[in-house]
Amino acid sequence: VKVEVENAVCTGHGRCYALAPEVFAPDDDGHCEVVHHEVPADLHAGARTAVGNCPEAALRVVE
Amino acid sequence: MTTTDPGADEALVSGAALFEEHTADDPRPVYRRLREECPVSRSAFLGTPAVMISRYEDVMWALKHPEVFSSGDAIAIGNERPLIPLQIDPPEHAAYRRLLDPEFGPKKMAELEDDARRLVNEIIDGFADSGACDFHEDFATPLPSTIFLRLMGLPQSDLPIFLQWRDNIIRPDVEYGDLEAAAEVREATGKDMYAYFGRAIDERMEEPDDGLLSRLLRAEVDDHRLTRDEALDICYLLIIAGLDTVTATLDCAIGYLAAHPERRRQLVDDPSVSAAAVEELLRYETPVMVIVRSVKEDTEFGGVQMQAGDGVTVVLGAANTDTDEFSDADDVRFDRDRNRHLAFGAGPHRCLGSHLARLELRVALEEFHRRIPDYRILDGAEIHYSPGIRQAESLPIVWDVA
Repeated sequence: VKVEVENAVCTGHGRCYALAPEVFAPDDDGHCEVVHHEVPADLHAGARTAVGNCPEAALRVVE
Repeated sequence: MTTTDPGADEALVSGAALFEEHTADDPRPVYRRLREECPVSRSAFLGTPAVMISRYEDVMWALKHPEVFSSGDAIAIGNERPLIPLQIDPPEHAAYRRLLDPEFGPKKMAELEDDARRLVNEIIDGFADSGACDFHEDFATPLPSTIFLRLMGLPQSDLPIFLQWRDNIIRPDVEYGDLEAAAEVREATGKDMYAYFGRAIDERMEEPDDGLLSRLLRAEVDDHRLTRDEALDICYLLIIAGLDTVTATLDCAIGYLAAHPERRRQLVDDPSVSAAAVEELLRYETPVMVIVRSVKEDTEFGGVQMQAGDGVTVVLGAANTDTDEFSDADDVRFDRDRNRHLAFGAGPHRCLGSHLARLELRVALEEFHRRIPDYRILDGAEIHYSPGIRQAESLPIVWDVA
């Protein structure tokens, strides 16, 4: 499973790195940076929750 | 559906109902009617025509399209120029956010956590042994204001005048509906605020310190130093946004938790639930009920004709309780799997202070429930919230002391 962020759409709500800090991290502006593009199996559930909580729909899971 | 169209069905809700006395105490029934009966509607608030947007999907679209629904000039609150960055739309908006986002980003805000936790405990020390407080007056008001003044590098002794300005701008003490008198109060207050910050800016030009104001004056935007006016226009917005909204959110959160001991018990038993509780209470209570935009060019949206310059009321609270987006929208659930609430808005104007607000709210919930786990609304007290930004007039709570 991979996760991707569309940087032009992210406005820095920060829901992703609050919910899945092992997969996403904030940059200095508070926008999303992907830590693990290839998400380890034990973090799949957290990654999916984070993606589903992005208000801007800036994140997606690629199977 | 409308108060301006003759022949409108009287049974339908009017957008003005949102601002009637006591609606803000529990606005959810009005939100529901707006979504169901007239999701996009022409309305009027105190004689001013406005378009009201209330469904989640439409609200989201409006917030993400500033080229259609502009945030510039949407509201005058005593300011002489557009507030920065709120009333500057993209593309000019981006340069200001590049400057301000790191100052309010989660990394920078994390540095404030220890200080915020200490402050929360000092405030609680002031009333813990007495078994009672007015939560609004004694906790929700001083916490964000003190943090704001420290962040800016302004003296704590100026807090009373800041609170007076906040009230003058957001809920001026005039007869209900007297827009002219309200505008006069706001303009006079605006002049005082410009003068105060003008002096503060001059002082820091002479003698810079470590505060945010000094950092702003050293900052560059689009290859030029921030001008004095630009710094003023940022300060104006920060006072209005920074002093009031977290106070309102704390009032709403503790007001809810005081009345719902089973939810409060979850926070007491497991403080790590606090972050999720903050998000859920932001959604369910939506302290900032509405935000405003204006129509940029003649357009049609949701079957309603809109003309350039029309005011737009974006009903965040209605979006946040929309059953099309949130399962069990009227239930408060701290274990919600998906919570894409819009309490901080969305799109380019997403609340600049959201990371600071979240920090203050989480630390407040953690420490308050650690220190005072069992509290209730004072017997016989009626809690009323102000419309627009839902602040409690007073929030008397009591608890048992050993």
